[in-house]
Amino acid sequence: MPETLEFLSINFWQTLMAIGNLLILFMILKKFLFKPVNDILEKRAMEVDTIYSDAESLRSKAEIDKETYENKLRHVKSETDLMIKSATERAENRKEEIINEANKEAENRKKKAESDIILAKKKAVDEMKDDIVEMVIDLATQVVEKEINTKIHETIIDGAIEKLGESV
Amino acid sequence: MSVDITGAEILFRLPLGIVITETQVNMWIVMLVIAMLCKYLTSNLKIKPEGKRQVIAEYIVNLANKFIKDNMGPGFKNFPPFIAALFSISLFSSLLGLLGMYPPTADLNTTLGWAVVVFILILYYKFKTNGFGGYFKGLMEPLPILAPFNLIGEFSTPISMAIRLFGNISTGVVISALVYAALAWLSGVVFQWLPGTLANIPYLQLGLPAILSLYFDIFSSVLQSFVFCMLTILYISQASTKE
Repeated sequence: MPETLEFLSINFWQTLMAIGNLLILFMILKKFLFKPVNDILEKRAMEVDTIYSDAESLRSKAEIDKETYENKLRHVKSETDLMIKSATERAENRKEEIINEANKEAENRKKKAESDIILAKKKAVDEMKDDIVEMVIDLATQVVEKEINTKIHETIIDGAIEKLGESV
Repeated sequence: MSVDITGAEILFRLPLGIVITETQVNMWIVMLVIAMLCKYLTSNLKIKPEGKRQVIAEYIVNLANKFIKDNMGPGFKNFPPFIAALFSISLFSSLLGLLGMYPPTADLNTTLGWAVVVFILILYYKFKTNGFGGYFKGLMEPLPILAPFNLIGEFSTPISMAIRLFGNISTGVVISALVYAALAWLSGVVFQWLPGTLANIPYLQLGLPAILSLYFDIFSSVLQSFVFCMLTILYISQASTKE
């Protein structure tokens, strides 16, 4: 039979050892479990904080960028408006010019045509005059041959031609 | 048939009357196991947890931190590891019964030692909160004549805690021993007609002790460890509130 303590006994050293063991285990848990885990939890909390603040700064930066781009876009729109406006204006001017030129050209052509017509008319009249003269001469020749004295009639006819010539 | 109910076995004696018993050795085993468990759980801590181990370690630490904060309020920085140490050493010690080893909590010296630590902490917080004068004045209330009773009340706290834990765990040991002995005897009576050594096998010890063990070794161990820690927390937080 091995030697044992009494079932219910109080032994100073045993109690002291129990106290010591508890305190040692406390140290062990504190050093090997709680300290490292608490440290890592703290680090994680810090990291989460930085992530949050980073996200916040990124967000505000994005906000600013958005503002800038919106401004730029607005600017671009006004610029294009201006460009369109000036282009339209130029086109309008050009149109005006082209129409004017065309009008002038048309005017010129009309004038030229008119002068051509006058010239043609004159020419026609001259031709007609020549024809008439010929016809008259022809007529007169026939009359003279058939009838009287050539000399008298000659002078008469000359006179008549003279008169005709003046009147034309 | 005889059943001996004894305390822890004395393994060797040192001078000055110091004895090293099963209680000590088993407690060292428990401490070693807990220490290795801590090392194992915290061996590879990362800010982004990678393994189950870290999750378990964080769970335990968070649980202890939250438990202390909820029950004692802020400012008890050392208490989560202390209560964790108390709970784990008590639980693992009691659970040793499952392995057929002598549970250190079945030794009154052990539970008394822990209760003394708690008592000292209670006194420390009472002195810290009310001052020496305030503490002794508190003992005189409501009437100076009641001072002895108040003093008994003070000392009964650790004693009741020590005896509660010791009683519950040692009861399990005693009842288990009795039941085993009784079943061995009953087996002998019932199966004595079997030939030779077959008659000496205590068949009836199979079954019933397992159910008893479920209660005494597991349920009672967990519950009493929890009760011990809960009482510690309550007494200390009470001691640290101004009267």
